[in-house]
Amino acid sequence: MTILSVTATPAIAECRSILADGRVLTITASRRPRANRAEVKCSVPGAPAVAERMQEVVRLARHTEARFDSRDQVVLSMDIAPGGAERDWELAAVLADRSVRGLFQPAAGVQTFAHGWSDNWHLGRLAGRADGGNATVGTMQVTHLGALTGHADPSAAVSSVRAWFPLHSGGVNDELAWVEVSVFPINVGAAAIDVTADATHTAANSEEETIAAPGLDLSTQQEIRQTIAGARDFDGKGLGRWRSVVRFGQPRFQGGSYQLALVMADRLARGREFVPRGRVIATGCSSAWHAGRVDTVEGREPKLELILSQVNPGDRVLLPKAWEDGLPPGFQADLRQKGATLACIDRIGMI
Amino acid sequence: MDFFTRRRQQAADTGGLGVNLIALRLDDGDVAPADCTVVVFNAAGHARRVAPGKVACEQGESAFCFHPGPYTIDLIPFAAAPEWGLRLRFVVDASNPRVSQQRFDLYLYSETSGRLPLSGFGASVEAALQAELAQGALDLPPCTALDEWHAFRAGLNQLMYTRYGVTVDDCVPVDLGEQIDFADIMIARATRAAEAERHAAVGMHTLDEQAADLPSGPGAMSPLPPQPTSQNDAQALRRLFLELPALSRELRLLQLPQGLPIFEQHQAMLLRLGMASLNVTTMPALAWAAPDQPLGEEDQHRRSRHTLVARDALDEAWSLLARFQLAADDQWPQLLDQADRICANLETGLSLRRAPHAERLEPSL
Repeated sequence: MTILSVTATPAIAECRSILADGRVLTITASRRPRANRAEVKCSVPGAPAVAERMQEVVRLARHTEARFDSRDQVVLSMDIAPGGAERDWELAAVLADRSVRGLFQPAAGVQTFAHGWSDNWHLGRLAGRADGGNATVGTMQVTHLGALTGHADPSAAVSSVRAWFPLHSGGVNDELAWVEVSVFPINVGAAAIDVTADATHTAANSEEETIAAPGLDLSTQQEIRQTIAGARDFDGKGLGRWRSVVRFGQPRFQGGSYQLALVMADRLARGREFVPRGRVIATGCSSAWHAGRVDTVEGREPKLELILSQVNPGDRVLLPKAWEDGLPPGFQADLRQKGATLACIDRIGMI
Repeated sequence: MDFFTRRRQQAADTGGLGVNLIALRLDDGDVAPADCTVVVFNAAGHARRVAPGKVACEQGESAFCFHPGPYTIDLIPFAAAPEWGLRLRFVVDASNPRVSQQRFDLYLYSETSGRLPLSGFGASVEAALQAELAQGALDLPPCTALDEWHAFRAGLNQLMYTRYGVTVDDCVPVDLGEQIDFADIMIARATRAAEAERHAAVGMHTLDEQAADLPSGPGAMSPLPPQPTSQNDAQALRRLFLELPALSRELRLLQLPQGLPIFEQHQAMLLRLGMASLNVTTMPALAWAAPDQPLGEEDQHRRSRHTLVARDALDEAWSLLARFQLAADDQWPQLLDQADRICANLETGLSLRRAPHAERLEPSL
């Protein structure tokens, strides 16, 4: 599938799911003028009950969308009928319905595989998959529909936000990798006891102890802790309130260009940053996060090229200020054409 | 015979006007404070502004008085980021002599019942702003640059003037961290989730309550107190009845860019809005399927739900008007596409409101 612009949505979209017996199920969605018909029509050969469930799922999931459009009818069909008890195809049906209306952009040129079911589609929360794990889209685990663009679940007790950064590994393996920050509040009473018991610790040290980054080597862990603690220090309101866990989609990498993405994800997770409609794509590091400064990073040309090819409508691209003069001509206009916005910043925060 | 009439109820409480109360409804004989403006609506809904003092209404007239302000409200533009807000200062301006109907008067007449407290107005503005941002009509991204901020401000000012008839005086981003603690909100969520789990373990059916008090996704509106179906329906229809003609009048006055296709689409939009207005005027009663055939509770709920769909389309149409007023020529095709969507939503909502039963069988094609 080619890259979609804002106005041109595909007429047909597909999403796949693997059934319990190993067969590949393809859910095809197409659009046609509504003409006084129902907003969703579903057909499954030989299994009307599954078709009915699919219609219910898709209708409920549409409650989580911001924009209501009654102009089109979406027709969803399955090529083979899943068993009556299987429910892992539900997420694939929802994503097919969204792709055909341009609300979900699958990665270009790749078949999308999605597995997951839910009893709370109207809240966008996913219960998981039949084998007990989290629901997946491709290789990415999602716990609710907003997680596809990195947003926090508005009803969960843990706030986890993802931000993306370009990972340059020389040509074909370049990709947008994500970093996820999950925060949950420290119970203030318990924290106060900790502090009195261990009075020698400074505030910054104890902040760094509340940040965990499982599965990374020690020096990277230390860097992550210092980055987040520094940025929270700059923020002024984040210290001593949160317990944080940092995860990376791709844990093997070098360099510090993920830092700006990490800091943005942390600020978004703590509810202290304006929320973009799509994803945050950021690259940049700093030697002075406690002052909120953003420094330049290497690999400008390949990273800009990668960002331009991967960007989706609603995304927010943040680059270091030093890159502003060297942007290729028309880069900003191209991003805008795709519905994304760009800012070159030398410090984080408002304006 | 005025001498013998006796006031049965107390005079209206005008305290708080200009502080936490923007406007309130007055009865015949009430005295409006000196720094307020009185708007009198006659039976046909036409407004006239009169000097403050003792209110004299004729038969079928109603009067509101409002204080011009300035007022200050704090808005949270994103429900997911409750610690960052916007502080908005606005005034209700003197009447614009170039229009026949002031937008603020229309707002008072169609959406206010009794009193218009500042907090209620703020909640309405916040919902409108959040909806605009979620749909991408206004843009306030993280690390906002100065030109993006100016574009946002221009859009917000126009939205407030077109949708509510108030003039934004000043708007600055503020850190609400002192008043709102996101960590506390998260702790409250965790306790509520734990409680729901405990209830579920006991065997109580809590699914409905849970669904009711959890916000549902990015476009979630602020929770309104539950109202009876019939009242909701009547209010929404009243708004559509009063505001659709005013809206099409404003849309007709727009300066069109050159070119026949845009002219034709603009005409089609006006025609569809006119037809929707006619549809509202002749809308059948909520509680009756046909004369002598009362409608069941469930069908009434379904009908009033579709009225709310039409009302939401009306709200979107007002903000679309604000965008039209600011639009450059090359943005028109995109905005006309939005207008097409909004008209379609309006028509769908109204036609389903009209149908007494939900018998919508799929054609076999």
